[in-house]
Amino acid sequence: MSDSDDISKLDHVDMSVRELLTEMKDQSEVIVDLAYASLMYNSDNMAQKVRDLENDMDDLKFAIRYKALLAARTKEDARQLSGLLEVASAADRISNAASDIVSLLRFPPDKRPLITDVLLESDERIRMIRVKKESTLVGNTIGKLAIEANTGCKVIAIKNRHGWSYDPEDDMKIRANDDLIVRGTDDGADILSQCAFGKREWDFEEEVLTQEEAESEAEEDERVEAELTEELNGEDEE
Amino acid sequence: MKSKLEHMFLELKDTSEMMVDLAYSSLLYDNVEIAEEVISLNDRMEELSEKIQDEIAQVSRAMPDEVARAVITTRLMDSILEIAAAAKSIADVVVRGLAEHPVLAMSIRDSDTTICLAKVATDSILAGKTLGEVSLATNSGMFVLAIKRGDDYIFGPDWNSRLESDDILIARGPEDAVAFFKDIADGTRNEF
Repeated sequence: MSDSDDISKLDHVDMSVRELLTEMKDQSEVIVDLAYASLMYNSDNMAQKVRDLENDMDDLKFAIRYKALLAARTKEDARQLSGLLEVASAADRISNAASDIVSLLRFPPDKRPLITDVLLESDERIRMIRVKKESTLVGNTIGKLAIEANTGCKVIAIKNRHGWSYDPEDDMKIRANDDLIVRGTDDGADILSQCAFGKREWDFEEEVLTQEEAESEAEEDERVEAELTEELNGEDEE
Repeated sequence: MKSKLEHMFLELKDTSEMMVDLAYSSLLYDNVEIAEEVISLNDRMEELSEKIQDEIAQVSRAMPDEVARAVITTRLMDSILEIAAAAKSIADVVVRGLAEHPVLAMSIRDSDTTICLAKVATDSILAGKTLGEVSLATNSGMFVLAIKRGDDYIFGPDWNSRLESDDILIARGPEDAVAFFKDIADGTRNEF
């Protein structure tokens, strides 16, 4: 059996099923935002990123199937893993749909659907914000600013002098003249815009928990979450 | 003034996104009621898509220049329906009782966008307020997907939805917003 050669051709097999599924869920969410944004801003570059993510998703899908089949030892394993694989396949279908959405870019903008109007009215909207040099955001990372926690807006892409970064990590630094593409509430985007234009100071969290405090709060939150899960599902109640 | 078509299209898109969020919530909590809501939303999506097709047909008849746009709109609609169908198949896993694998819940919790529960305490600043009055999503970074009140659920609450004490909120957002959100709901914190 020389199956080790075949495995080496599969990408991502070094990841666990848990890591693979987490990655698939994350990608399936960001890819839809990027697909709509690419239509809104008529961006081929963003559309290409969507196609790259979609290709990567296919690799992830094969890797998770491979790992799940290897992990099945009993009928119970097979039963549970069949549910898990269905979820993985749903994430893949979402990314296929996103890739179909960006294929509409090849039609001239004036023939495209009213997508821009629709996106501007959605519950959670997509917007582009330019960071001016006098902004208090400049020089800080997305993680330090905790942009999403503080404004309800998720940064889905950043364009800086090196080009586009999609689904930027927490350690990504914001610099003057960056363009941020965000998705979130209108109010939140307003606050963020004002800060980006330098018309408003960013409200840095001054209170920092010690590691011990943070850990004990996390433990407490976990306990409450477990209790509420039971209550939600109506077990042991009434 | 938005056209009837735009209104319907907006509902189609927003519903597809809510379905995905609710589908992952049903999976995380292995909750059949939420899963069933996703499945019935999918039926509504199908009805809505038929209405959109009728409307597109009418618009095209009245304005032949709009035919090209109509065809492309239909394609976009198909992609949105596919996203909704994928959400439905996640919900289906829950309804079939196949959502027990521990990795499912772990993966959702590990995600960049996580989901959590919080109960509104009597002395919480949320109690008695609408979601709009407290600008909850903007101020806490957590977006409320559903509210469980007694035995009932309110799915996809809007700005006018009022929160009451003892409501259980199902919300999505970044990991670093969860602790704060829970503190606001349980009354530990009294200001944003």
